[in-house]
Order: sequence, then structure tokens, then C-alpha cells
Amino acid sequence: MPRSETANSQNASAVRTSRTLTTDMLDLEALKSFDKIKSDDGSDILIELIDLYLQGTSQRISAMHKAADERDERQLKDAAHTLKGSSSTLGLRQIAMACQDLEAASSNSPGDVPMLMRLLESRFLEAKPALIGERNRRLLLRNKFNGAERH
Amino acid sequence: MSQFQMTFKKPTPNRVLIADDDPVMRHLLAAVVKQQQCEVVIASDGREAYRVLQTDSQFRAAILDISMPFLEGLDIVHYMRSEKRLMKIPIMIITAEENLKVMSDSFSAGATAFLPKPFTSEQLESSIRMLLHSQKLSRIAS
Repeated sequence: MPRSETANSQNASAVRTSRTLTTDMLDLEALKSFDKIKSDDGSDILIELIDLYLQGTSQRISAMHKAADERDERQLKDAAHTLKGSSSTLGLRQIAMACQDLEAASSNSPGDVPMLMRLLESRFLEAKPALIGERNRRLLLRNKFNGAERH
Repeated sequence: MSQFQMTFKKPTPNRVLIADDDPVMRHLLAAVVKQQQCEVVIASDGREAYRVLQTDSQFRAAILDISMPFLEGLDIVHYMRSEKRLMKIPIMIITAEENLKVMSDSFSAGATAFLPKPFTSEQLESSIRMLLHSQKLSRIAS
């Protein structure tokens, strides 16, 4: 295969991989279903929801670490349950699954908690770029529309 | 004395209590409720919801997460159904629990509607619309 064709095929495969990753980590269709709902000022509510999710999840994961270190089963279970709810609603199925496993492990198999916490953290780190990308795309669109309305 | 007697019905309040410990869910629920031209009163855990309900009963509906710190959603349902001034307020329970028992426990406690997570915007909007009109429907039926 000529060199340029190889490079093209590698690029195409990278794009495919990144799209697949995005789909695995973040179900954009689930997110899109909330397009109809507008925030108080009539703008895209998903920008605000993603911001709240990103802020809240970092804090929640820290609280879960603390609860795991202190073997506070109730606290860990409650935090995992709450995070599972918003993650599944926003289409972050892998994070929701990790939370579900943590919820179960907190009472049934506490020995698995450290490994599951690492898994949750890595899934959050993997999902973050896709979420930020989607947020920025929507922000750009909003600014574009606002600019067009002003002119 | 006049032959006709006019009775004035108390107007239905246009406020909805939302109790959820998750800021993402609170924001989403509040936006949908506001789209239905209702005011929103927010509580970020069960204890806060209980405190609000102790002094305020002017709600058209309540939306409660089942799993909240201090007091759970079902505790609030039990409280509301035992207080005469709160008894008729329609309640929707929201939960990420996959256990069917949670749904039957919610209805047994007196919940009007039940919405499991994850939900789509259509499911959320139609559940809230139904909840807001359920009091009107039960009044017509009675």
C-alpha cells in the first residue's frame, strides 16, 4: 500500500476509534433528547447540566475516596447511587455501571472497592474530554446564534 | 337571603417542591417544571424538604428523589400523607433504583407517580405534566 494511503487509513481508523470511544463513553443520543428543555434564559440547558456534572463529579469522587478510606459504607453507597442517577440520565453509561458495581461492592465485597474506585476514576477521565467537547460545541453554537441575532 | 350561593374555590397553588441531593437532577427538574409555568421551591436533601413542608403547604405537586441524606423520599411521602394540609398534594418519586419493590413501596406509601432513571426528556416532561394535572383530574372525578 502506498505510504499516503497507509497514512489516510491510519487517520480514518483514528477518527473511527475516537468516534467509537465517544459513543462508548457518552451516548450523545441520550444527551440530545434534552435539547427541547431550555434553561431560564432560553438557552441550551445541556451546557449548564454538563458544567454542574463535571464540577459535582470531581467533588463526589473525592468524597467517595474519603468514605472508602474511612470504611463508611453508607456514605460510599449513597454517593455511588447519586452519581449513577445523573450519569445514566446524561448518557454516561460506563460511569453509571462503575457506580452500580461500587454500590453493590460497598456492602457485599468491600475488598473490591479500591479497584472499582480506580475504574470509576479512569472512566470519568475518559469521559471528560467527550463531555467538554460537547459542551464547547454547544457553547460555540449558542454564541454564533446570539451573534447572528444581534446583527 | 339570596337564592344563589356562590362558592369560591381556593385557587390551586402554582408552586412545585423539588427535593433531590443531586444538583444536575435539581437543575433539570426545575427547568421542566418552569416550562409548565410553575414556580419551583428547591430542597437539597430530605431534611430540608421536611422543614419546608412543616411551614408551607401551598404546593401544586412535589417531586422527590428516593435516596437523599438525612431523610429519604419515602419518609417525606409518609409525612405528607399523614398531614391533613399536605395530604392531597400529588407526589412523584424519582429513583435510580432498579428494584421493582421500590416502585410498589412508593405507591403503597402514597406516591402518585414513579419515574425511574435514566429517563428521556419526553418521559420526564410527560410525567411532570401528568403530575401537575393529576390533582385537577381527581377533583373532577370526585
